[in-house]
Amino acid sequence: MGRKGQMQMTETIAILFIFFILLLFGIIFYFRYQQSAFQEKQEELLGVRAMETTLKALFMPELICSRGEAEPEDNCFDTLKLDSAAAVLEDNKDDYYFEIFSYAKITVHQVYPEEKEWLLYEKTKPESTRKEPTFFVVTLRDELSDSTQAQYGFGYVSVEVYS
Amino acid sequence: MTFSKRGQIEVTFNWIYMVIAGAVILLFFFGLVVKQKQVSEERLSGDVVQVMSSILAGAGVSEKTKNFIDASGLADYTLYFSCDAGVSEFGIKDRPARTQNNIDPIFAPREIQTSRIVTWSLPYALPFKVTDFLFVIPSNVKYYILGNDADFVNEFLDATEGIERESLLNLHDIQVEANQEVRLIDTDGSSVPGSGVPALLQSFDDQKVSAVVFIAKNQADFYQKQGTTWRRLNKDAIRIISLGGERDAAKYAAIFSADDQLYQCNMQKAFKRLEFLTEIYGGKELALAEAGGKLQALITYYQAVPGSECKGYLGDYDLNALEALARLHSTTTACQQLAEHCLDLVDAAQKLKDANANLRIYCTPLY
Repeated sequence: MGRKGQMQMTETIAILFIFFILLLFGIIFYFRYQQSAFQEKQEELLGVRAMETTLKALFMPELICSRGEAEPEDNCFDTLKLDSAAAVLEDNKDDYYFEIFSYAKITVHQVYPEEKEWLLYEKTKPESTRKEPTFFVVTLRDELSDSTQAQYGFGYVSVEVYS
Repeated sequence: MTFSKRGQIEVTFNWIYMVIAGAVILLFFFGLVVKQKQVSEERLSGDVVQVMSSILAGAGVSEKTKNFIDASGLADYTLYFSCDAGVSEFGIKDRPARTQNNIDPIFAPREIQTSRIVTWSLPYALPFKVTDFLFVIPSNVKYYILGNDADFVNEFLDATEGIERESLLNLHDIQVEANQEVRLIDTDGSSVPGSGVPALLQSFDDQKVSAVVFIAKNQADFYQKQGTTWRRLNKDAIRIISLGGERDAAKYAAIFSADDQLYQCNMQKAFKRLEFLTEIYGGKELALAEAGGKLQALITYYQAVPGSECKGYLGDYDLNALEALARLHSTTTACQQLAEHCLDLVDAAQKLKDANANLRIYCTPLY
């Protein structure tokens, strides 16, 4: 009887052991899955943020080519505004423009007629692990060119967002 | 006998052990399910807020566009909008997910529970473009426009295609379905103030019937139904800060705002942006009535052009861009400190608009 009881006890312990092993496997599998799903979500959110930041930069009244009371020109930056925008964006970076761009770097590159670059906004994230760059082609209006009409160059805006 | 009793105890103990172990295991899984349900709901509301934020961000930068959003999946949720001290908040009522924003002016009812939302953006210019105003319009709100300002009535009906709206000759002619909310737009103050709530609307919940009344030039009052009478929400006059004209964003913002507090709070966001824009055009030196930024670049350029009158229009003549821009800058700063100063923005913006018109004829315009 004593031996039978011992056998039963061993059997119960073995079953419990296997049960907990299976439970542990389940938990590990679940958390691994959650971790990868979380990472995927993070990447998706970073992509969305990159697009939104580019969109916001392209339509910023601080940069766009205005035409008096008429609608502004699409995908066009005013170079005279670009010259002064960097200082205003820098001065109000933490208390205002961070809310728009968050951790990002926005640079406008002129390719034609001559190469030029404006660093408009830069806020790096400490211990950032990833960055998502986005590029968009824009025209660059120079109203003080030598000709009587405004001259248009072209270039691209580069928006890098940090996660 | 002894053996049988021991066996009985053992069997009973085994059953108790099994029941306790089963209950513990069941409880564990039950707890897991409850936790998962909670996490899923939080995640869903977070996703909803995030998707809505993206839609609003997109709609906000797409100038003059209307977007019709099918929100039938959100019909069970109540979205809320609030704004305090220049920071607006948007989220799902009674859920933790919410988002705050101190940049984009969003004009909306306080609460929305509907299956379709219309977002409409209009550019706000004073006199140059400052930002896009976003109006969030639920399909279950019906807008009734009335009053003697026929031009604005016609403009409103043209501009708001796709939105539930109707013009009325008389306030008491109103016909409305029981499940709708009502916003009255009195274009000249001849209908709502001084009259009672129409009989048909008296049975409606007070929160579901409101009115915006435009009186005099550049002034609006917000009303809410209170039983059979109207209660004015704003203590002081609410000024419409704009240069007028068609599709006046500031005026439409009043129409689609729940009340004076939401309206003024979001307008303050626009004034803050205006301050930074004046610095782009005129530099920080504007505070000292000196030129910087784009204006300084124009002055420097035209100084080197012999015989050009442009320098006069930019900084020397009676009506010049520097003076107008400096005034706009100082008024914008003052307006953010004391709302009474905001009305001066209209005159300052008009002066800059006139100065810019001269620049457009003779030289390079500022904006």
